[in-house]
Amino acid sequence: MNHSMKTTGKKRGKHWDYSVKYPLIFVLPFCICFFAFNLFPIIYSFFLSLHDWSGVGEKKYVGLQNYIMIFTRDKIFFKSLRNTLYLLLISFPPAIIIGLLIAAFLFNIKRLRTFFQTVNFLPYITTPVAIGLIFLFLFDRNTGIVNRLIEGAGGEGLNWLGNPGLAQLVIAFMILWKYIGYYMALYLAGMTSISQDIYDAARVDGAGAVRTFFSITLPLLKPINIFIIVTSLIGGLQLFDEPNLMFNVSTTSIIGGPKRSCLTMFWNFYDVAFGSTARLGYGSAVAVCIFIVILIISVIGLCLMGGKEERKHE
Amino acid sequence: MNKIRKPLLYIMISLVSLASLFPFYMMIAMSTFKTEKMFQTIPLYFSNYLLNNLKTVFGSNFLRAYGNSLLVSCVSTVFCTLISAMVGFALVAYRFRFRSVLKKLIMLTMMVPVQLGIVGYMIEMRTLHLTGTRLPMILIWLANGFGAYWMMQYIESSLPMEMVESARVDGSGELNTFFKIVLPCVKPGIVTLILLIFLWSWNSYLVPLVFVNDNTTMTIPIFIKSLGNAYMTDYAAQITGLAVATVPLLLLFILGSRNFIQGLTAGAVKG
Repeated sequence: MNHSMKTTGKKRGKHWDYSVKYPLIFVLPFCICFFAFNLFPIIYSFFLSLHDWSGVGEKKYVGLQNYIMIFTRDKIFFKSLRNTLYLLLISFPPAIIIGLLIAAFLFNIKRLRTFFQTVNFLPYITTPVAIGLIFLFLFDRNTGIVNRLIEGAGGEGLNWLGNPGLAQLVIAFMILWKYIGYYMALYLAGMTSISQDIYDAARVDGAGAVRTFFSITLPLLKPINIFIIVTSLIGGLQLFDEPNLMFNVSTTSIIGGPKRSCLTMFWNFYDVAFGSTARLGYGSAVAVCIFIVILIISVIGLCLMGGKEERKHE
Repeated sequence: MNKIRKPLLYIMISLVSLASLFPFYMMIAMSTFKTEKMFQTIPLYFSNYLLNNLKTVFGSNFLRAYGNSLLVSCVSTVFCTLISAMVGFALVAYRFRFRSVLKKLIMLTMMVPVQLGIVGYMIEMRTLHLTGTRLPMILIWLANGFGAYWMMQYIESSLPMEMVESARVDGSGELNTFFKIVLPCVKPGIVTLILLIFLWSWNSYLVPLVFVNDNTTMTIPIFIKSLGNAYMTDYAAQITGLAVATVPLLLLFILGSRNFIQGLTAGAVKG
């Protein structure tokens, strides 16, 4: 390939067209936009993270001071990290498992399958901010429908959005509500793509429904499992829209819901960089730290998936 | 499947579906109430105040926000899809220097949330005097790592290169070939990408939150956020605003649900 490049460089004939001119024409729009609007901002953010700057006036170079601050004194950053991981752990695994179970049931049902699939998919495509507002109305202490129903049944309404633990539960429930249908559709699509012959063979061998599910369906769904785990990790770590809407209207100056229990990493980042006091340098350092966290967790997630599979083969 | 289990499955899936629908039902039911009356009963049925609530909502910035969202999402989607298809085609059809570097770069960007560079992006846009316009909400979508990767995969698996080569022999220019032969050939992949980018840009919240500071550039998610301030105590108007902001898109989805779900799940099944 190297050799042909050299010769075409001299001739500038048809070969030059196909190895330099046309590739350049097709690749250039992406490369220019990528550099200008994606890569450059990230590099510039990293540059800013070494400075103390509020957005106006002189940038003051402080070296690694911002990072040292985050690791030694910023309790809120670590609280937001803990919150995010906790919310991730209590919401996504159940959502994935329930989605898989329902998909397994739906797969055996022919009638109304499309209907059930469509209905359960609606939460996923609804604007996240709207979901936040809907749940705000449902779980409001005085006016929310959930408490009114509890009271109607003779119970006592709970302060859903005012109690740290309950607020986290509401967020987890919201994630569950949003993603079950999506995961279900993904798994259904995966199951439909598995060849019917394999199932027929299993039936001939006398395998029951449960056995077939665990020995055939689940292993063959591995690509989808990886896709779901990686995307839910990356998506979950970016959680921002719904909690931000639900707990933004609070009258107190403390952001992030009751006792900051619903302050996610991205929300903390947004607040540090653009909130009441604009600290763009420090905010950029927080962004870099979040990036590292996402990288580490994604790699761990991928390794766990890979490792499990290897052990199975042994 | 025995006779007892099947109805049980139907009951279970119906219950889950009810849970999925309940919040939407509540939203629509509550939007037909007058605020005062809504608090006197449990609003599980429909009342008759919908038109008045709608009047309140349409008297606000709703239509402008809808227009802005449509404009931003459509422009982002068209250009992102075109740029993605072009780079995807180049990576499949040509052997050029830095090809594998570009490929790896695209894979890497899929893992990195673009929003993390938002501080730098904001300063960049401010320097270019683009704050206060709709452009910052569009430009960030143009080079999308997922889009490029998706188109590359799709073109590789479903475009017969013989067609491209025979077009070359017939003397068709490469750009002509791309638009006349390649794009029609990979239409399903393009439709999927269009759906995804449209959905993502329509629902995008963080970027508009940073850039929108007046009503003229407001998008739907920002409009929804502003509902609380706009009608302080008029809960019914807030919910009606929420309903009109979400229901049309949901109806559109239901109409094309078969293709939509297939498109949205295709990426996972193939990858």
